[in-house]
Amino acid sequence: MTFSWRALSRSLALSGLLFGVEPLHAEYLKIELRVYGLDCGLCARGVAASVQRLAGVKSVDVSLKNGLLEIVLERGNTFKMSDLRRRIRENGFRSMEATITAVGVLNGPSKFEVTGSGESYYVDKPDAKGVGPLELTFQVK
Amino acid sequence: MKFVLSLICLIPVSAWGDGHGPAFAYSTATLGSGDASFETAFMWRSGSIMFGPRVSYGIRQNLQISFAAPFDITHGDHPTGRFDAMMPGNPEAEVLLGWRFYHAAPGISTRNEATIYAGASALTQHVPRDDGPPLQRQPGMYVALAAGRVARSYDIWAGAGYQRYGQLESGLHDHQSNTFLSSFAVGWRPPVLNKDYPKPDLRFFWETTGEVVGLARRAPLPPEAGGKGGGHGHVVPPVFLLQSLNRIVYLRNSGGRDVFSGPSVLCTYRSLAFQGGVLFALLDQPNGRQQQEDVRVVVGVTYYLLGRRK
Repeated sequence: MTFSWRALSRSLALSGLLFGVEPLHAEYLKIELRVYGLDCGLCARGVAASVQRLAGVKSVDVSLKNGLLEIVLERGNTFKMSDLRRRIRENGFRSMEATITAVGVLNGPSKFEVTGSGESYYVDKPDAKGVGPLELTFQVK
Repeated sequence: MKFVLSLICLIPVSAWGDGHGPAFAYSTATLGSGDASFETAFMWRSGSIMFGPRVSYGIRQNLQISFAAPFDITHGDHPTGRFDAMMPGNPEAEVLLGWRFYHAAPGISTRNEATIYAGASALTQHVPRDDGPPLQRQPGMYVALAAGRVARSYDIWAGAGYQRYGQLESGLHDHQSNTFLSSFAVGWRPPVLNKDYPKPDLRFFWETTGEVVGLARRAPLPPEAGGKGGGHGHVVPPVFLLQSLNRIVYLRNSGGRDVFSGPSVLCTYRSLAFQGGVLFALLDQPNGRQQQEDVRVVVGVTYYLLGRRK
């Protein structure tokens, strides 16, 4: 077995690629989520505190009267909508329709893939072109 | 108006019931998964004062465990049923498991829920009695069912429960009074108080509880005192006793029936809940020569650890 500087440098470069690559970040920017069952200040506080702990959440506002959570996210977050809905369920409430602002790409005429999240939605945006990332605001049920 | 609200919120009272429901009546488990609450409260009932700490933890969103250990500061001579739905009326350590088996949120701010509770307890203090030495300590079990509907403008709660004390050896030991408790409560948040989060949240309740407390029982008298022997057999003057055909000795001055009704108030702000209530006796029929109860009062405070789950 012979030692080769070239082989070593290739191995190091490959390792760097394997371990140094960061996962793609999700690009959810803002979410307005309707939540059923919130009836008092402590319920609102519990949900707000719980959602605030999700990675990438910048701020959470709760309206008891409208049953609405308004979540603002940091750029380049690792947020998933499924995590948010699970968190609401863990608090004993029911998540409903949402208005989402996110960056992603259109795959086909109406399938919008949120960058880095692995989550996609069918949106009604006939004027949007499927070239490059774009910021969309859409509603999901 | 703000001054009045602030004043009410500063009254040192608490969510003595589970979390943010009525003070005396049954309500459902409300802690989310990973949430916890720490409650302390004083209870006053015609001559006796109890202090009760209670810790609750949400194992899952529909499963909650609580540990309560109320104790007597002063003790009155009245039937010792449960003081309220979620807290023993005797000085006991109680572990209570609540399973919210039905849960629906049909609209904004509206929930329909039902919870079944099961608990086990052990007396921690000997309760003094006028008719002899304190009864021996025995383990107890508790089951209850609570159901209700909550909304921003109103709440409705109903429930019933049964507490039974066991015997280590059947018929040979003292036996505390078994208790059946039922309750009904309506809550109301006046439109003027219907403020949005994070402002203080104030609600009023009208609560009614009904209680049937059974006769307590002493171990049979020892042979030298005219009994069959067994147990620890305290000698008690016959005037205090009712002896059944099978020689079981019931204490005449124990148990009874009562119905109480009255208002309570709940104020939540940030991670705190302040609650207090006063119940007045509509019916009070204690057995024997026990003390009548006119009024029951509870005040306390609860601190919540919310949204801690990562």
